[in-house]
Amino acid sequence: MVPARTGTTASERHPIVTTNLGLSRGAARLEGIRTTGTRRRARQDHPLWFLVPALIVLIVFFFVPTVFNFVYAFTDWSSFKSAINFVGFDNFVTLLNSGTLLTALRVTLVYAVLVAIFQNLFGLLLALLLERDTAVNRAVRVAFFVPVIMSALAVGYIFQALLKPDGALNGILSAVSGTTVDTAWLGDTTWTIVVVALIHSWKWMGLSMLIYLAGLKTIDQDMLEAARLDGAGYWATFFRIKFPLLAPAVTFNVATALLGSMNGFDVVQATTEGGPGGTTELLNIFIFRTFGQGLFAQATTMSLILFLVVAILAFPVIRFLRKREDVL
Amino acid sequence: MKNALKGAVVLAVAATLTLAGCSDPGAGGGSSEPADWPAQDADLSGTSLTIWAAQNSNTVPDSVIAGFEELTGAEVEVVTIPDPYEQGVQTKVATGDKPDLAFWQPTASQLTALNAPSNLQPLDDAPWLDSYDPALRDITGLLDDTRYAALISTPAVEGVYYNKKVLADAGITELPTDWDSFIQTGRDLKAKGVTPFYEMGGDRWATQWWVQVQLADAAADGLWDRVNAGEETFTDPTIQGAIDTYDGLIQEGLFNSDIKTATFEDQGDALLAGDAAFVVQVGSFFGQLQAKADTAELNENIGFFPIAPSGNVGTFIPDQSNALVAFKTGDAAKEAGARQLLSYWLGDGYQDFVDDQATVSLQPDVTTPDSVPDALIASSDALADSVGSMQALAIANPDLYIFLADMIQGTKTPVEVAEATQAQFAELAKAQGAPGF
Repeated sequence: MVPARTGTTASERHPIVTTNLGLSRGAARLEGIRTTGTRRRARQDHPLWFLVPALIVLIVFFFVPTVFNFVYAFTDWSSFKSAINFVGFDNFVTLLNSGTLLTALRVTLVYAVLVAIFQNLFGLLLALLLERDTAVNRAVRVAFFVPVIMSALAVGYIFQALLKPDGALNGILSAVSGTTVDTAWLGDTTWTIVVVALIHSWKWMGLSMLIYLAGLKTIDQDMLEAARLDGAGYWATFFRIKFPLLAPAVTFNVATALLGSMNGFDVVQATTEGGPGGTTELLNIFIFRTFGQGLFAQATTMSLILFLVVAILAFPVIRFLRKREDVL
Repeated sequence: MKNALKGAVVLAVAATLTLAGCSDPGAGGGSSEPADWPAQDADLSGTSLTIWAAQNSNTVPDSVIAGFEELTGAEVEVVTIPDPYEQGVQTKVATGDKPDLAFWQPTASQLTALNAPSNLQPLDDAPWLDSYDPALRDITGLLDDTRYAALISTPAVEGVYYNKKVLADAGITELPTDWDSFIQTGRDLKAKGVTPFYEMGGDRWATQWWVQVQLADAAADGLWDRVNAGEETFTDPTIQGAIDTYDGLIQEGLFNSDIKTATFEDQGDALLAGDAAFVVQVGSFFGQLQAKADTAELNENIGFFPIAPSGNVGTFIPDQSNALVAFKTGDAAKEAGARQLLSYWLGDGYQDFVDDQATVSLQPDVTTPDSVPDALIASSDALADSVGSMQALAIANPDLYIFLADMIQGTKTPVEVAEATQAQFAELAKAQGAPGF
């Protein structure tokens, strides 16, 4: 996912094909890299029909369900009767008139922003701490990556047990402080959303760490050495050289954390089920509850709205983050 | 790339056209002919049957399956559907996946949710019907006068579980005889420093019982028929009043101090330990107590009485572990096998079943084992003159308990609870095509 940039000239450092973590068009233009002109050769090397297997998978598993999602939102599909009739914008009108959708959307946005902040903060800190390739660091990196491959529901249930009023965390706090601590970490209508966002971030911070580590590896050692010779300390090097050069990694990490947690469900369902008092009811939990009531069309409408919101949010966010890369 | 795009567009259009002629994959197969009922011991070698069960009901059929497999040579497999069970089953059925039998809440609202007329086998002429206690025969399991569910154990009754020792220590010898005396007893206990009521706001689902028992008299008077017809709503004085009363009692401090976070398990522990005097709950709560204490201890410490504004009237609420439904799968042999299993369950296999489950028998000819605790028998005795709960009588089952839990957490006012419940009820009723919505 990270382009190798070990060469010395600009064209060697920056391959022409841009990837997720590669250069933005603007950056490529600044460095005078041609991004077109390879079409004919590419067409000979990679005939279009090579795409067919991937395209079939894409259409069957992603495209058709999305189309279904659009179509069913305009019907009255439910578990109560066999016939499915088109009802126009009825579901949208009902949904927009009820305040629940807006509340759930607000909760989802707050959650996504919190996750994006925490996950990147933790991931970046870990990457900086474990940057050097020592044996210990390698082992610790693996340890921090383990939660990423764990089942999200399992993570949620483990934390639910740890954070219960009579759970392990309060037990440790009681033992350390000498007084009885029985805080309901998942029972506060204001702060529980922060706690579940922290759990989500804990699960995924290993992935951010990995990507930041890869980003750090691509930074030219000569440049860091030059900075050192110029008398730059650790923090000056970090803020003026490393962080700006990590821009592609930041783009990927922030975008995936923010947009991925908009679709969050598993961690929150396992820890709070949307409670207490609906303060952690993400849109997906609301959708799940509606679907469970047998109101399939309404649930589909909500997931369509979520899809649209994520799409609307994705463009400016990714555009803004890619713009930052132009300084490279 | 252009060709690929064209291809994608063509496929998309094809998919859309297919959809335009779409039908519900969960629409039922099978015929609507009156079913014949095979003998209980008819040979079923080579036939395999599947029963869907929830995590708390997947061992219920053990003795029946063992007996049935030996008698008929059939193979019966129990598949556990993870919680939330009802949502899981509905989703599977909606996408065309069906078992032969499933545990299912036998109420009209839940039978509607499965689209019973097209998905379930009618059980109208079942051979076991005459064996039932006449008072319980038609209490539930019917939708529009067609029977779709076979009741296997006594439906849960909403009422008050109490700790006998706590009441005796406080000098209370007379059990409350109606709602007002119940609340007054609570206040007296509070004055003596005892926590009168215990509620599980953390696990949420029991919050609705406090509202529902207050509605028992109104329910007997046709409240849910009026709600079903859209003539009365949750925001009208009857239901709103019950919600307000519940809120008032919480504000008054008559409940446990950790009401916001307490769980189902905490509630059972608290009543057994005597940390609280009363718990308004249903049968599954007693199952929780049975998991924590033996019959002798329960008989000594725990009692049950039904409650309603006018007196000791229970509110019944059958749940998923009380009944089974048989699906129309389109395979006539399996459908007949499913009916045969039910005949055996409520026929020759029933005594083994109630003995194995230590549960109250629904059939006068089948004796209830001595191992059944007194409180469970009291709860079952309350059944005959009880009235139906919202789940039993309303055409839809809105998330009243979630909204009440929100009220306990302080994020909804009692008025908002009623509004949210009504809005959801109306949406469900409209989706069912109920007149008036």
